[in-house]
Amino acid sequence: MRNQSRLLDIIDRAYDGPPCEERDFDLKHVAAGVARVVKEYDIGFDRSRFIQRDDAVIDRLFDASLDFLESCGVYNTSTGRRMVFTRREIEEYLASAPWEAVIGEGRDARTERYRAVEDATPPIIIGGPIGAPLSEDMFVPIMQSYIQEPIVDTAGVGCLDSTYGREARTQSALEVMAAWQEVDLIFDAARRAGRPGMAFGCVSMAISEVGHLSAISRGGYRPVDWHMIAMFSEMKVNNGLLIKVAHSVRQDGVIQSFYNPILGGLGGGEEGIAVLIVAGLVAMQLMYMAATHSSAPVTPLIPADTVPPLLRSMSAAHLALSRHTGLMTDLPISPLAGPGTETLLYEVVAAATIGTVCGASRLMGPRSATGVHLNHCTGLESRFMGEVGHAVTGMSLDQAEEVVQKAVAEYEPELDGKPFGKPFEELYDVARVRPRDEWLGIYDKVKEEVASWGVDFR
Amino acid sequence: MAIDPKYSELVTNIENGDEDGGIEAAKGLLESGVDPLDIVQDAIMPCLKEIGDRFARMEVFLPEMMLAADVVKGVQDVLRERFSAIEVASEGRVVIGTVFGDIHDIGKNIVAAVLEANGYEVHNLGVNVDPKDFIKKAREVDADLIGLSSLMTTSIPYMRDVIDLVKESEVDRDRFKLIIGGGPVSEETVELTGADGWGENAADAVDAVRALMESG
Ligand code: B12
Repeated sequence: MRNQSRLLDIIDRAYDGPPCEERDFDLKHVAAGVARVVKEYDIGFDRSRFIQRDDAVIDRLFDASLDFLESCGVYNTSTGRRMVFTRREIEEYLASAPWEAVIGEGRDARTERYRAVEDATPPIIIGGPIGAPLSEDMFVPIMQSYIQEPIVDTAGVGCLDSTYGREARTQSALEVMAAWQEVDLIFDAARRAGRPGMAFGCVSMAISEVGHLSAISRGGYRPVDWHMIAMFSEMKVNNGLLIKVAHSVRQDGVIQSFYNPILGGLGGGEEGIAVLIVAGLVAMQLMYMAATHSSAPVTPLIPADTVPPLLRSMSAAHLALSRHTGLMTDLPISPLAGPGTETLLYEVVAAATIGTVCGASRLMGPRSATGVHLNHCTGLESRFMGEVGHAVTGMSLDQAEEVVQKAVAEYEPELDGKPFGKPFEELYDVARVRPRDEWLGIYDKVKEEVASWGVDFR
Repeated sequence: MAIDPKYSELVTNIENGDEDGGIEAAKGLLESGVDPLDIVQDAIMPCLKEIGDRFARMEVFLPEMMLAADVVKGVQDVLRERFSAIEVASEGRVVIGTVFGDIHDIGKNIVAAVLEANGYEVHNLGVNVDPKDFIKKAREVDADLIGLSSLMTTSIPYMRDVIDLVKESEVDRDRFKLIIGGGPVSEETVELTGADGWGENAADAVDAVRALMESG
């Protein structure tokens, strides 16, 4: 349910909630709260596998996460208050959350839906480097390389590394210029690819609410694009984020929420991270009235969500959400490796397989090379992600586990290095926007290997 | 280096994040005549270092590190109270924060916690920090070093603003060293911004800070 009275109710909580020092929130509410529910609900993962199979643990994880959310709430750093919800409110809001949403328009429109565990329909494929820095001259060809892939349903946009030759300073007029430049360039790329109605994740250059308010308006991004709004780790918002929410609700936009908890941070180990993912995504449903809910957890040592403990956290969290709610969830794939490497493709296999069988509605990415290396991303890896997602659709959790085990065995030894690969311009014919033989050869080789594991790409 | 068993109660309380317990243990040690400097050097420092190492191996997590640092602060206050003439050893004073426009704070908090665990006095300014506020705080606490974190190409310009403010000021130029870090930061960013050094991760950050402190 999305309406203005609910929005006002949420805004009220930013001012009515119990006051709290931020450090007390971090330590007493988040860290101690997560530790408490992990213990009380006896949440422990089976370290010998990635996809957790014990339904009782998954069900307890869901209960533990709602208990945690009720006791902790969400901290508003602008007002210094906890925005709290009763268990009854949490359950009522969850029950009224949307099960499906239409994104994009015309021939390029797509309907995304809630997916069950082992669902027989494939997830929506979001291609794109989501937020990774792209140079101004390469922005259009790189984004076109994703949009033109037929298997890509909608695209996640990269960030401009500069705007009209200037540094794209956030919270300045340059953020407005950069956000509008993103609009101009992404729709240019969409027209070039022949898919003008495709929906985009927006606004990548809205580092603050300034870019969001400006570029989601007349002549810019549309209500049928998905409007990205973050929640800060761990369990925090500020008024800037709530401004984005108010604007997108009034625009009747499709809201996509995201939250990235950190392994080894306030949530502790992998079980605690699963609690934070479930509680965080539910919290964003309550506060943002989001259509889709996304989480790409990271570790302090390796900035990727494909490390084994996080594969377990993500699989358990998605299973819990899919079994107990009708929420649409995204699984963003944030590999360590970059394009031009086999490692990247194997990381994609593991995460895409987990997302697909554990009930994620959408596979997103991959955000290649940790999303910080200039132009280190190409459409070919999104094609591969989509192909894996479609091929493993309908697989049982046990079959999928075998695939994930094999994929992890291929890439895990590489995670200590820096397999960031090569930039787009070395791997693609830029003028024609076609992958070169070198990169296609690697793709073919890995695909053949993965097919031999029983993944049917036909 | 093994810690002398007479310190085991203090060390256990630091590890468990029990501030009252830690303070009691420290008072007990003082009453039995142990030199406060020995308490710092032979118990607190090695204990914090061990906690930092365990974090690097993911055996303990951020909350344990933060709580341990709290206990140590409480204990240091007791030591100072009793022997005000004694300067409680600190490796150096660091002001750290995430630069303007950027709210990514996890990496910066980890660096802050690990620096504290290695004996530095750390003033953490939080996120979205105005360039001038770094300088203000550094002057106020007479810092040796300013640490800047930026996770986005769009906030790196504000990192450079802080560095420019320091380098262009005759009073601050030779006073504060500048160290930077965060996802997109590299050797190249050091050149671009004119920082004195950078750290790729928390362990690296400690080495880099140490090297800068030694360079005088
Ligand atoms: C977690 C995360 C978030 C969380 C942040 C929560 C929080 N409280 O910090 C949330 C979800 C809120 C978020 C929001 C956004 N994010 Co973000 N986020 C990340 C992510 C996935 C991980 C960052 C992280 O915490 N890593 C783990 C820590 C431990 O590592 P670290 O920070 O690098 O720190 C280590 C070292 O760098 C070093 N270090 C760090 N600081 C310092 C300082 C000193 C002095 C030293 C010596 C060393 C040092 O030591 C640390 C410990 O080892 C990165 C991806 C990535 N690869 O980095 C994107 C990323 C940084 N985000 C990005 C973006 C675009 C955003 C948003 C703008 C998205 C949006 N459109 O709303 C907003 C930004 C809002 C804002 N105003 O800042 C982009 C930036 C791209 C760019 N232009 O450069 C990235 C790269 C991802 C991507 N490609 O999209 N994000």
